[in-house]
Amino acid sequence: MALLNILHFPDPRLRQKALPIEKVTDEIRQLAHDMLETMYDAPGIGLAATQVNEQKRLIVIDVSEDKNDPLFLINPELLSTEGERDFEEGCLSVPEAYETVTRADTIRVRALNLQGEPFEMDAEGILATCIQHEIDHLEGKLFVDYLSNLKRQRIKKRLEKHQRQKL
Amino acid sequence: MAKPAGLCPRSAAALVIQRVLLGQSLTTAIADTGKSVAEQQRGLFQQLSYGVIRWYPSLKAISEQLLTKPLKAKDADVLSLLLAGLYQLRSLRIPDHAAISETVNACKALNKPWASGLLNACLRNYQRQRKTLETLLENDLVSELAHPAWLIEHYQADWPDDWQRILSANNQQPPMMLRVNSQQSNQTDYLQQLSNANIAASALADCPQGIILQQACDVLALPGFVDGMVSVQDGAAQQVADLLELQPGQRILDACSAPGGKTCHILERFAENELIALDISSERLKQVEDNLSRLQLSATCLTADACQTQNWWNGEQFDRILIDAPCTGSGVIRRHPDIKLLRKPTDIEQLAKQQQALLDSLWPLLKPDGMMVYTTCSIFKQENELQIEAFLQRQPDAMEHLPAKAPARRARFGYQLLPGDNDLDGFYYACLRHR
Repeated sequence: MALLNILHFPDPRLRQKALPIEKVTDEIRQLAHDMLETMYDAPGIGLAATQVNEQKRLIVIDVSEDKNDPLFLINPELLSTEGERDFEEGCLSVPEAYETVTRADTIRVRALNLQGEPFEMDAEGILATCIQHEIDHLEGKLFVDYLSNLKRQRIKKRLEKHQRQKL
Repeated sequence: MAKPAGLCPRSAAALVIQRVLLGQSLTTAIADTGKSVAEQQRGLFQQLSYGVIRWYPSLKAISEQLLTKPLKAKDADVLSLLLAGLYQLRSLRIPDHAAISETVNACKALNKPWASGLLNACLRNYQRQRKTLETLLENDLVSELAHPAWLIEHYQADWPDDWQRILSANNQQPPMMLRVNSQQSNQTDYLQQLSNANIAASALADCPQGIILQQACDVLALPGFVDGMVSVQDGAAQQVADLLELQPGQRILDACSAPGGKTCHILERFAENELIALDISSERLKQVEDNLSRLQLSATCLTADACQTQNWWNGEQFDRILIDAPCTGSGVIRRHPDIKLLRKPTDIEQLAKQQQALLDSLWPLLKPDGMMVYTTCSIFKQENELQIEAFLQRQPDAMEHLPAKAPARRARFGYQLLPGDNDLDGFYYACLRHR
């Protein structure tokens, strides 16, 4: 197990489109577990491979209070969406920014599990929000893209300043 | 996705205060609502929740001066937030402008954005008229002393010379005290461990396992807490184990055991002793079980009304019986300020009846050479020395036993600590034996 480095907005690598996983190998499983550990440590409730600089369609999620209900989605696809829900989202790649984003309230997803077997699931509420947020990452999209230009620029400036100070 | 931002400390405190106003205990409300507050903000959240409840009578009186008409019952959360704002301006070292703007912002989290203007106006008016408003308070005993009138009267009647000191001690933030598990460590060693962890602490006078921290901290920051090396307990409660004059091989009853502080202390002395821990509430008994398991101790825990002996007693008498009786808590208001809001004058009579029933129904369960210890965290005489006096009159074969070392000031019967005596909680102790 290892903690991975999380890329921060506006890093251009967060804008790449991730590639489908052809075969679920031991390396993929190892990556998934490392991502889970990294996510718990952050602390977060979802992490996409793109955020740890792996251009693969893999996301890990755990929205439980007790960190005991991990969900792994490989090559996830949104099959259907329904309703609307506002949620104050934050992102491990955009530290300390929380803004309201409107997404579908109920979704149906198809993906592969860690054994490489396909499955479908329905999700609603925070889990639905989180899955959509993570699938966006695989498309090179961030939650700040849903905000006004002004708000996005303000967050970007703050993070750039923060990164300069770290160097 | 990052963990949700959760509630801001001010809106969360407002929700806690609202729940207490509806009759829930402060401890429960804080535990429930605290889950939605980010860890680094829990300190302020707790400080606000405790502070507002502690000073509720005063803050409420100020708010009545500031509001042109009272808020509706369904807006108790807005009132609570206003009180939290006033508390910050009066008692915390947060710059006024920050306290006001953050409090006004918290209206959004409560889903009451319409209240922003109202709160802003009230808090700024307080700022402007601070002197006049505070002088008004001084002319009213309830708002000056921050206790309901019936409680003030009761303290005055029972403690005509000490009541002012008692009320002022009730309004202090109490120090955090620990009890070292003597099965795993001792006072000296644990003080060293605290010092290694950069936690300033010293030994607690008269408590061989007791430690007082200079500053309260999260229990999880305490070395070995999870593994049961130490527990949080006021020194007043720690004196009970001494009074029981424990020996190996005793059979012990703890009749009202939850949350289990004294239960565990008894077993920490001699872990092999047979202990039956009762509590009337299965939910509260769960806390006893959790504490026992954390401290790696074992007892027989039974959910039962101790008075209904036919339901739980197997007929074998006890060497020691501890009745840590349900009481008004009038001695521990500094730790449980919600007592000011939740207790009613009629509770005293009802609790006194329960205490009497416990004494009478458990006395026959004591071995001829056994000892019963009766304690409360109250300082009202009706629950304490008058209760024991009446018991001794009803039970001619019972007499008071005087311990080698008095745990507190002598009362007519038993011993009474007043809140703040030696920095401890208010507490009552009486030891009883067969004649």
